Amino acid sequence: MTADLVQLLAGGILLGGIYGLAAFGLSVSFGVLNVLNLAHGEFLMLGSLLSYCAFVQFGMNPFVSAVLVIPVFTTMGLLFFLVLIRPLGEKPHHELLVASILVTLGASLAIEDLTAFFWERPVTGIDYSLAPFEVGGVVISSLRLLILLFICVLAAGLQVYLRRTFMGRAIRAITQCREGAKVVGIPISGVSALTFGLGVALAASAGVFYVTLFTATPTMGIPLTVKYLCVVVLGGLGSLVGSVLGGLILGLAEALTAYYAGAEWSPCIAFVLLLTILIIRPQGLFGTET
Amino acid sequence: MNDSGYRALGFVGLAVGALILAALPWLVVSYVMVWVFLLAVYLTLAVSYDIVGGHMGYMNLGHSTFFGIGAYGTAILLNKGLGLLPAMAVSTGVTAAFAAAVSYPLFRLKGAYFALGTFGLISLMGVLSSNLRDLTGGSGGISTPPGNYSIPAYYLSLLVAAGTVALNSWIARNRFGLALFSIREDEEVARAFGVPTTLYKCATLVISSIPASLIGGVYVWNVTYISPSAVFGLEIALSPIVMAMLGGTGAILGPLLGVVFLTLVQELLWTQVPYLHLTMYGVIMVLVGLFMPGGLIRTPLLRPIMLRLRSTRQIGALFRKNGKPLSASGPAAGEEVR
Repeated sequence: MTADLVQLLAGGILLGGIYGLAAFGLSVSFGVLNVLNLAHGEFLMLGSLLSYCAFVQFGMNPFVSAVLVIPVFTTMGLLFFLVLIRPLGEKPHHELLVASILVTLGASLAIEDLTAFFWERPVTGIDYSLAPFEVGGVVISSLRLLILLFICVLAAGLQVYLRRTFMGRAIRAITQCREGAKVVGIPISGVSALTFGLGVALAASAGVFYVTLFTATPTMGIPLTVKYLCVVVLGGLGSLVGSVLGGLILGLAEALTAYYAGAEWSPCIAFVLLLTILIIRPQGLFGTET
Repeated sequence: MNDSGYRALGFVGLAVGALILAALPWLVVSYVMVWVFLLAVYLTLAVSYDIVGGHMGYMNLGHSTFFGIGAYGTAILLNKGLGLLPAMAVSTGVTAAFAAAVSYPLFRLKGAYFALGTFGLISLMGVLSSNLRDLTGGSGGISTPPGNYSIPAYYLSLLVAAGTVALNSWIARNRFGLALFSIREDEEVARAFGVPTTLYKCATLVISSIPASLIGGVYVWNVTYISPSAVFGLEIALSPIVMAMLGGTGAILGPLLGVVFLTLVQELLWTQVPYLHLTMYGVIMVLVGLFMPGGLIRTPLLRPIMLRLRSTRQIGALFRKNGKPLSASGPAAGEEVR
């Protein structure tokens, strides 16, 4: 029973780390651009499927692809930004909201439908495992532990990037006050483009781990975006620590729901959690306005 | 031609249109009738969406949940032996209660967050309808007692659609509608001037849920079978919104134009191509978002006509009394109101 519970919690924490990583990508690009990218979940999906292809075709180790997708998807994110998101910035304020929802949701639908059309097998998972080891009667999968370690390293690296480098400080400055950042001479459009690329790359990198542990389908993008919303509302906007904690809460809640109520109920829990939070503590768990 | 001339012309056009629609079952093959039925369904959804999305400026992407709850409720009650009208009435009551319950937390979200939150509502209802097998029949769907109701359902759908259009334009002309416009323009200012914004927002969501639920009941009565993917799927969720957006929100003619245009495109083009429908919706959304967020009625081609039509509206008189010039579009299309 305790072994089960530990397995369960380990699974939930891993899932939470993946959610937190991807959701942080969404929240940081929303903070800088003021455009909520509803196509964000699609990049996790694309990262998953791409790394699956790389694994099947070339036998590429998922950890290698988790690093390799970062430059690939940064480029893809930059292109997406230049073609679809930047033209929105020129619109007057009251058109911006409607236009941004239409453009990002439309892109999301098109990506999802096209991928589902060209993807022959609907459900996939990477069959990659390492020898598990045992600690005090509890079997721990070393693959999962390694992934958790990787996510922690990535998150720590990000935190250092945000705190110590010029670009990271610029990103935080724009999130706090756009006008002020402009006044002190931060190149808004350049930083915006890079942030968007970074957010997309984070989602794709999280997607590689997702497909290693769970099954990925071409249609999972939009539900994932809703989960990110839940994480961002839980953790507050633009905060890495908040996103990771929010992701952990969601991941654990999903794992526990799947165990106690049945796997078919776990897709609801994100939304139920979101509604509960909005009723009890609309400013988010960690006190920031969303 | 002066204002009253246009008005008379409008009434004559309406009367002729109504006559043609009423006589349609005796004039044409049933194929056209089915098409008009679907058009009425989409029109009801698009116009009732417009009450929240156009007048109040909150994008409710989960509008089809109301349609789905209405359809499921009616189907379940029909199977329990209730008549159509009581079944529709009860399920509409349930839908309105549901809308009231979710409106309170959801309206704590704003802008894009609200849109995404309501969008999540669809997948929640999809999961619920597949999991509550005893009630809804699970993912296999639910059938209602068979029978050929196509002619009465046709009239009923037209009635609901006409009622929805009337409701939408009635709201646009009274004090409540003005309060909604003020919420769209600037919620803080509206609240400062004494508009009870939270109450009005919740009430508006409940009002817009009622027509969607009613048409859901009519829909399931006619087609006699629904499944979670049919009523809580992405296509039924997004097509009315895309139609309203394509035509132009916040004005009665916008959704009307968008619905007729897109259902024609669907009929002529998409029946030839059995796949990639969602891709096409997606591409249309991107193009509308990038190039004409105000919709077709605010494009340079159609604007002058709309301006002329609009000037006969009573709401226009309200603005003119204060000596302000009249705009062809709602402020959502980029007009300055302040």
